[in-house]
Amino acid sequence: MTSLLGWDESPSTLTPTDSSPVQLAACGCISALGNAAETHEALLRGERALALKPVYGSSGGDPVPLALLPGRSLDETSPPSWMPAVKRLMRECPDAPWGGARHPVFVTSSNFGVGNLFSFRRAGTLSHLDFGTPEACVAFIAGELGWGGNVTILSHACVSANLGLVLAARQIALEIADEALVFSFDFLSPFVAGGFHALKILNSEAPAPYQARDFGSIGLGDGAAFAVLRKPGPGWIIASQTMYNEMHHFTAFPSDGAGFAACIEPLVRVASGRRLWIKGHGTGTLEAGRLEAEAFGRACPASPLVGWKGSLGHTLGSSGLVELAVALESLRSGRIPGTVGSEAPTFSEKVSLGPIFDSSFDGVVCASNAFGGAHAALLLCHA
Amino acid sequence: MIAASPMPDPLNARIKTMIVQTLRLEDIDPSSIKDDDPLIGSGLSIDSIDALELVVALEKEFGIKIKSSEESRAALSSVSGLVAYIRARADPLRLPPL
Repeated sequence: MTSLLGWDESPSTLTPTDSSPVQLAACGCISALGNAAETHEALLRGERALALKPVYGSSGGDPVPLALLPGRSLDETSPPSWMPAVKRLMRECPDAPWGGARHPVFVTSSNFGVGNLFSFRRAGTLSHLDFGTPEACVAFIAGELGWGGNVTILSHACVSANLGLVLAARQIALEIADEALVFSFDFLSPFVAGGFHALKILNSEAPAPYQARDFGSIGLGDGAAFAVLRKPGPGWIIASQTMYNEMHHFTAFPSDGAGFAACIEPLVRVASGRRLWIKGHGTGTLEAGRLEAEAFGRACPASPLVGWKGSLGHTLGSSGLVELAVALESLRSGRIPGTVGSEAPTFSEKVSLGPIFDSSFDGVVCASNAFGGAHAALLLCHA
Repeated sequence: MIAASPMPDPLNARIKTMIVQTLRLEDIDPSSIKDDDPLIGSGLSIDSIDALELVVALEKEFGIKIKSSEESRAALSSVSGLVAYIRARADPLRLPPL
């Protein structure tokens, strides 16, 4: 199909640039279970960070499964209570003139500081406005971390981080940038938890629904992560990325699961000859879980499928990057955490509930999905 | 002798009117909604957002609590199913007598 811009492209792939590999020079995260290494080890042990907490924080409400950073309250504070944890995370990031002309920063989030905006509306405390818009919140972070002005702010629901990775890789491939930093953050607030609670998919009936239990609740989690991308070199590369939007419905995917397959199949072709495992999105909603497990089972029948949101909660727009950091630890060590927090029977026999100890895998496909029928995936492997 | 058919539950008509009003289905006559037709995936074209709007209205009107999206889907199986669901959970004082 030829698009209006003259590209010869099929609906399931992006421009050729997105097939250009980039080096994943560094990647780290923080979750309720710690940094990437700590999160990886805790998942291998089967730990669940999710715990029932009042949906409106100190204002009460139904108990819902949330995974907050240790010691952090759900209530919004001014300045945000998550900034010290972000600073600790970014100490793991290699030094570079981030935000300079050749070192762009891509900041992604679902929520930015929307909880602070809600706090301002509710209590009228002006200082919350300093963090209450994406621009203000990112300016605060950039100031704290010493970034220059070459910062791009992106949001695309729960594939926000994936969009940042795609655009950063394009700048590397086009030689606009020497290195690119992708930073993503999503910290929960009563506003965010309350929204999912109002949608009836966050409730007290944890765990998530599965094949033999048709009711339950997703979990939400705090998370932030970064990735440094460079021209391909030795070590780990993101070999290819896809994004695909079905433009189907605000909250739903088409019932045939075609979008899941359309996003992952091009990567499976690129990975031909490699031994893969798949890190699925695994939000925990009944229908999306079924569609994803079945589609991935068909597209990649030899690959085990795992998901980690049953422990970490869904870190929303940052989940693609938080889980990439954990996937990197898993691939590097040959120790892959299982689908923590889920129970048999699963929708597909490919879903692995327990950890996998196998160093012969040489690639992982990391998939994410979002409201609006958005899909994203990437292939992480050794150069 | 012809056996008398049971009186319809007056809650059925109230629910049908609520559906039309809440979802602003201006071209639909409430009485044209059949008691046992599926509400989701039928000619009413109710999607998940409509269902949520309807659930919120039902919670407010009848003082019930529908916890999850899966429970919503089950409750909204049909008008008859919804009426049975509400009868089983709501304070009888908020409901029309049978």
